[in-house]
Formats: sequence, C-alpha cells, structure tokens
Amino acid sequence: MVVYILRRLLWAVVVLLAVTLITFFIFYKLPPGDPALRFVGKQPTTESIALVRHNLGLDQPFYVQYGKFLKAIVLGDKYGWPGLGYSYDSSVPIRDKIIEKAPRTLSLIVGASILWLGLGVLVGVISAIKRRTAVDRIAMGFALFGISAPVFWLGLMALFIFWYKLSLTAGTGYTPITESPTQWASHLILPWIVLALLYAAIYARMVRGNLLDAMGEDYIRTARAKGLSERTVIFHHGLRASLAPIVTMFGLDIALLVGGAVITETVFNLDGLGFMAVDSVFRQDLPATLGVVLVATFAVVFMNLVVDILYAFLDPRVRYG
Amino acid sequence: MRNRRFAAIVLAVAVAGLVVAAGASARPQHSGKATAKAGSSRVKAGGIFRTEWESSFDFTDGFDPTGEYLAEAFGIYSNLLVRTLVGYNHVAGAPGNVIVPDLATNTGVITNGGKTYTFHLKDGIKFGPPLNRAITSKDILWAFERIGTKSVGAQYGFYYDAIKGMTAFSAGKSKVISGIKTPDLKTISFTLTKPTGDFLYRLSMPAAGPQPQEVSGCFTQPNQYGRYVIASGPYMIAGSDKLNASSCDTIKAAGGISGWDGEKTMDLVRNPDYNPATDSTKARENFPNEFTFTVNSNADDIYARVTRGDIEEEVAGETPSVLRQYHGSPQLHINDGDRTWYITMNLTQPPFDDVHVRRALNFVVNREALRKSWGGATAGDVATHIAPDAILNNKLKGYAPYGNGQGNLAKAKAEMKLSKYDKNHDGICDASACRNLLTITGDREVEKGFIPVLSQNPKSIGIVIKDRVLKDAYTPIQTTRNNIPLSTRPGWGKDYADALTFFGPLFDGRNIIPQGNTNYSLLGITPAIAKKDGVKGSVTDVPSINADLDKCSLLSKDPRLNCYAALDKKLTTQIVPWVPYLWAHALSVSSQNVTKFMFDQFGGTIAYAHVAVKS
Repeated sequence: MVVYILRRLLWAVVVLLAVTLITFFIFYKLPPGDPALRFVGKQPTTESIALVRHNLGLDQPFYVQYGKFLKAIVLGDKYGWPGLGYSYDSSVPIRDKIIEKAPRTLSLIVGASILWLGLGVLVGVISAIKRRTAVDRIAMGFALFGISAPVFWLGLMALFIFWYKLSLTAGTGYTPITESPTQWASHLILPWIVLALLYAAIYARMVRGNLLDAMGEDYIRTARAKGLSERTVIFHHGLRASLAPIVTMFGLDIALLVGGAVITETVFNLDGLGFMAVDSVFRQDLPATLGVVLVATFAVVFMNLVVDILYAFLDPRVRYG
Repeated sequence: MRNRRFAAIVLAVAVAGLVVAAGASARPQHSGKATAKAGSSRVKAGGIFRTEWESSFDFTDGFDPTGEYLAEAFGIYSNLLVRTLVGYNHVAGAPGNVIVPDLATNTGVITNGGKTYTFHLKDGIKFGPPLNRAITSKDILWAFERIGTKSVGAQYGFYYDAIKGMTAFSAGKSKVISGIKTPDLKTISFTLTKPTGDFLYRLSMPAAGPQPQEVSGCFTQPNQYGRYVIASGPYMIAGSDKLNASSCDTIKAAGGISGWDGEKTMDLVRNPDYNPATDSTKARENFPNEFTFTVNSNADDIYARVTRGDIEEEVAGETPSVLRQYHGSPQLHINDGDRTWYITMNLTQPPFDDVHVRRALNFVVNREALRKSWGGATAGDVATHIAPDAILNNKLKGYAPYGNGQGNLAKAKAEMKLSKYDKNHDGICDASACRNLLTITGDREVEKGFIPVLSQNPKSIGIVIKDRVLKDAYTPIQTTRNNIPLSTRPGWGKDYADALTFFGPLFDGRNIIPQGNTNYSLLGITPAIAKKDGVKGSVTDVPSINADLDKCSLLSKDPRLNCYAALDKKLTTQIVPWVPYLWAHALSVSSQNVTKFMFDQFGGTIAYAHVAVKS
C-alpha cells in the first residue's frame, strides 16, 4: 500500500507539472491581447506598455518565465513557500489570496457535500425500495427539478425569498467561522442548499439505479435464500455494493468544486477560489490563474488517491501491492 | 404517461410561482419621498456611507495616485483622500468643472505670457497619520518628480510634459525638473515650455497632489504605493495611524494600511489632521464618519442591498432592467456623464476610406434606436457631434448635421451616390467592400441590442455588416495590424473638462501605436507609421488634424473653446471618423438612507464630499 501511495504521489507531481505547463502555454500563446495593456491606462504609449511588460516579466521568453515560476514554487519567493508570485491585478501575493479564499470554498464544499450525500443516498434508497410507487415518483420528480433548475436561478430565488423577503438568513457574503459561527452558518446555509440540490438529485438517481441493479444480482438472491431480513439484504449487501461508484463520484465532485463552484460563489458573493479562477482569466492575471489551477489540480489528484484507497476498504476484491 | 404529465404540471406551477416571485422583485421601489436637499434638517453628520462595486474596483494602478487612471478612483481621491493645489467644488454640471483653490490660497498667479503659474500654500494643511506633519511645497515637487520617474509608471504623466525640464528629467538627462521651483516651503511655481490653456485642470488631477517622500519614495514600481496612500484630505485609510513609517523596511513589512486590502474592501475614516478651516464647505462638507467600498460579485444583490438599505450606493452597471426598476424614483440620480459612445470607422479600410460612405453611414444610422437599447432617454442624450456639449461649454448645442436621431435614408443615399463604391449611382453601395463588413461588438447587453439596428440600417445603402461579438472587444480594435473596419464598442470620457482630453488621444496621428491604440480611425496615419504598425489599406492621404490640435492647445478660455468647437465641426462633417450616437448620463442608485445626494462632475462620480446618511 505504501509503495502504491508513493507511486501515485510521484505521478501527482508529473500531473501538476503537465497542467501548469499547459496552462502557462495557453496564457502565453493564446490570448488575443497583451496583459500589460490592462495596466497602462487609457492612453498608453509604446514606452509605458514596454515598462509594464518588463515589470511583469512578460518580455522574457516563455521558457524563462516558466522556469522562474517553477523555481519559485519549489524554493519559495519573497512571500513565502510555495512561491506563487503576486497578482498582476492587485499586487497581492497569490499565496495570501489562496489562503484567504480557500476557507470560503472549503466551507461551501464541506457543508454542501454533507447535505447532498446524505440527501442523495436517502432519496435514492427510498426510491429504489419503493420502486414504482408515488414515493418513488415524488423522489424522482425532486431529482428532475434539482438537475434541471440552473444554480444561478435557484440561488437568486433562494436569496429573494429567504433573505430579501423573509430575512431568515444573512444574505450574501462570508463571515469566517472564527469570527462568528452563527453568522458563518447563516451566510452559508443558502449556498449549501442550492449547491447540494443539484448534486443530491444526481446522487439520488445514481443510488437508485445502482441499488436496483445490485438487488437483481445472484448474491442478493442467495442472501435472501439464506433467510436474512430484507433490511440486512438491502443495507449490508445491496447498498454496500452500489456505493462504490458513488464514492468515486463523491471524491471527484468535491475535488472539482475546489476551483469550480463559480456560479454559486458568484451569486452568493462568497469570493472563493472558483470566482478567483474565472475572474483571473478574464483579467488575464496569469499568476492568479496558475495559483488556482495548481490548487484545483492538487485537489483532484489528492481526492483520486483517497478514493482509490477507500476502494480497498469498500470492496474486498481490490488490493494494492 | 399520466403520472409524468402530473409531475410536469406540478413542476410548471412551481416554476411559475417562483417566476412571479422573481417578477415582484423587479417592480419599481417607489418610496414617494425625495431624498433631502442640501440644507435640509435631515442632513446630519455621522454614520457610515457604504458603497458596493460590481466584480472588482478595476483600478488601473492599484490606487497609486501617481498612476491610477480610473474615474471612480479620481472621485475618491478628490473628494476624500488627496487634496491638490487647485480642485473643484464637487458639484454637478458646469459649476462642477470650475477650478477653485484647494491647498493653494488662490488659483495661481499667471505670468510670463501664460507660461508661469505661482501658488502659495495655505497655513494649517497637514498630512494625516502616521506622519501628522505640515504639507510643504517640497511634497508637491516630489509628486511631480515621482510622475517623472519612469519606473513608477504615471499613466497620465504626458499631461505634465508641458512643464519645462520634465521630459529631460524623465529621460534621466537632468536630476531636477527645471520648470518647478520651490523658493520656500509655502511657494511653488511651474514654468511651462509654451502656454497651456488647461494647465490648471492638469494640476487638479490626483497625481499632482502632495505626496510624502518618506512613504511614497519607498515605492518605485507601479501598483505598490496604492496600499499606503497618506491622506491630505478629510479622510484617511483606516489603520493609517498604525503604520510604522520610521523606515521603508517597516512600511513595506506592513504589507499595506489595514483599511485597504488591495482587492475587495477599502475603509476610509476621518483624518484627525484635517483642518476644515483650510477648506471650503462649498467643496467639502464631510458628513459621514466613515466610507466603506466593497466588491460584490453579484450585481443583482448590490441593487437588492440598496433597496433594502443595507448599503447606500452602488457602482455597478445600470442595465436597462435596473433603469426600468428605478424609473421615476428619487433614488435614481441622472447626471451628465461627459462621455460619448460611438461607432468608429477605420479610414484606411474600404469602404470607409471614402468620406461619402462615412457620411452616408452617419445619415442612415438610427441613433434613437441605438439609444433605446441602452435604456432610452434615461441612458443619455442622442449624440450629434463628437465632444459632449458640456465639454465645449454648449458652443455646439443643437448642432446636428446628420439630424437628431431618426436617420435619413434619402440623404444617406444621396451621399452614397457620390461614393466611388456606388458605380451605378443608385445610392446603394455595389462594391464587394461593402459586403460582409467585419464589425467588432462588445458582449454587453446594450451592445447586443445594437445588432438588429446595425444589421438593418446600413443594409438600405448596401452596407452589409458581419457582426462579431467579443467579450474583450477593445483588444482587437486597439491592435492596428488587425485592420478592423468598423466597431460599435468604443466610448470615451473626459479626464477633465477640456476638449483636448477628447481630441488628443482619439485623433492625433502622432499617438498611433501598434497595440493599445485609441485612435481607432487612424486619423493622421502616414505610410511610414502604417508600415511600422502593420496597417494595410489606403494609408496615403488619410486626413490629419494634428496642426489643428497644436493650434487649439496653445489657446485658453473662450478662444480655446471656439477652436475646439470648430475642430469638432470639421471632424463631424469633413473628416467623419465616427458615428457618434450617445452622450451617456452618469447614473447611480442610492438607498433611502441617503439624506443628501450630490454628483461630482469632475470625477463623474458621487460627490462623497457632500453626501450624508442617516446616522
């Protein structure tokens, strides 16, 4: 197992390198304009553009810029380790930006993922057990709504009803949990629900399908033939087998949301990593984009590893050597 | 099947209910009460004035006064944070463009044939914490030396090249700016290379405000000093008093003054070293105890907060739906924006290398329809010539050589008949150059509304456009080698109330650069510049107004206005680089907590110096 983990970690470094190289290349080659133009005011001169390009290091060849970027990551820069440079836009160190924004995104993901996993599995199991009954149809109606309703619309509606009209929640923005746990939760309850609704719907359909498939397997028939109670058959044999793909999906979904909860973060003004990613792309703020890409890639690689390890515990047939 | 239908009906009802709820939020929030006027008993000192900005502050130089070139930043500096030798009363309309003394005792003594300006500083003016010391003429000289230090990146430093010795100082050929003298700590004089009629306006810009060398001197690169701006105005960045300014090391170690995080929140509080006796209440009344500026990623949320009274003011795009929501409400404030929106034609690209085609397009475009896509009359006035009327002190009020907005097909056809691109002289362009004419359009809601108008109007004279909608529409049209013939994206606002700030950057052929170019029409381009900048097309005999610009810039007061008015006419009817269509209003929505609202014509922003809020 240790060798397996080490090998995966080594691959993770390769993946991170590849992703940063591709991102760097895309930013270096593809943008139609020069990032320096954003910082020369509305009446630039050739000299002022050249000065900004020089200050940002954009006048150096691609490989030099990339080499400096890698060196800073490994050895750190004046802002600390890992060295991620500073934002072209605001001069704020990227490392500080990520440290400041990560708790916002993590708060969102943790709360929402607990909700969607619990709700999704519960609805999926009930729906599977009560197949073709009114309960099943209501549950799948809920799933259809959750999948169909756009997050931005749900978010705006939730804000309108629960904050603007009823004043039940704190509205948009973010309060650190260290400052006020109640305000933290009050600001996050709507984003949790809105984000969880989409995923819960997907998970409910998936659990239902997997469980129905599993319940048709021979080993379930055997379990029933042995005289086990229906509850034991469903939860010990059926559900356990149907959870393996859910674990994979859960791990990847969490990882993808690290840099991907853009819409929820934008609507609820959470200003997390997802919003930072999109905002930095629009502003051609390459260091900020690279910083978020690195964090998001690391999250994906790490969660993949966690999922693979969890597999060994969920499915006795899986062993790593 | 029945069950599916039932589920669909339930879903439809639920969605409809939510849509109705959403619609309720879009109804105008008429309070029935106007916000109090100046002098009302409701206007009291105290409280916090909270403003939220959409998405980002968009500062161009991280709020460093030397380089920052954003109008909203000018508003904050000029009203609250940075005083200058001369300034404004921060009021709306023409009175808001009148220069008044600020740190200086008067608006300067002008001698030497209009080339020397001398100022004396008022007594009792001080920098705020942590310096708490008197402001001297040396601090103003230092601000100019910083402007002249290339590495700092003063984004409108060119305005000060008129000062004798400034270019030599910038080039490193001189260690002093020979045209600036500080015979004592209270006196400063500027000697110019030639009379410059708008020099007082240039001195009112935030870069010309005093800076303490012991702090701003620590920062020699762009985008750095903005986190440390030391106040000379009535407010300071919160936490300024905590900054250890004993050395550059201690200053830099702070990472910025705590009240301004460089990105999302700025908090300004009263400057204890500000002496109201050195200022005029006509210029600054300073009612609130605190101003907060916060970025919010959700524009809808910003307006909801204004409506609820959670914040006092917004800096967000007023979309047509917002205009409908607040139409007729005293919370919606409409003022002249001193900004022209226009369709630009590239004079080097066919068919716009023919002035008759350019005139024909001006005649045929329905400006009124374009304005509707912006939100109608609330959004602005139909533009009938280049510079907004206020900039020319209404010298061209009512001047509308192409009519007042509806378009005139007969005149457009008559003009097209004279064009070389209309071989059979039927008033319809029959050359291939008029087909599939690439037009760059931005992706803003208002611009997307253009597309039907711009597809139909020009088609009636044979011009068929191929519209390309881009998020960043400026980059392609600012890159000369792209040779874009037509774009609906551009708009231009004044830097200060002088037509030079329109005509210079937009039409001076000497300012054409390969990237970041703002002379989109390429007026005044020469074959040599064209070759250097990759321009292909009709680059010989492109009209130039460089000589006119030089002539006008030497004048002052009424002769200057007359000169620019004549130049505007020449541009509008003889050269015709644009189809100007909107003189935009500056719009803002304030909450009912605001007990006094005023507009600052200089910055085109809220007059923070005069606003008041319920405590």
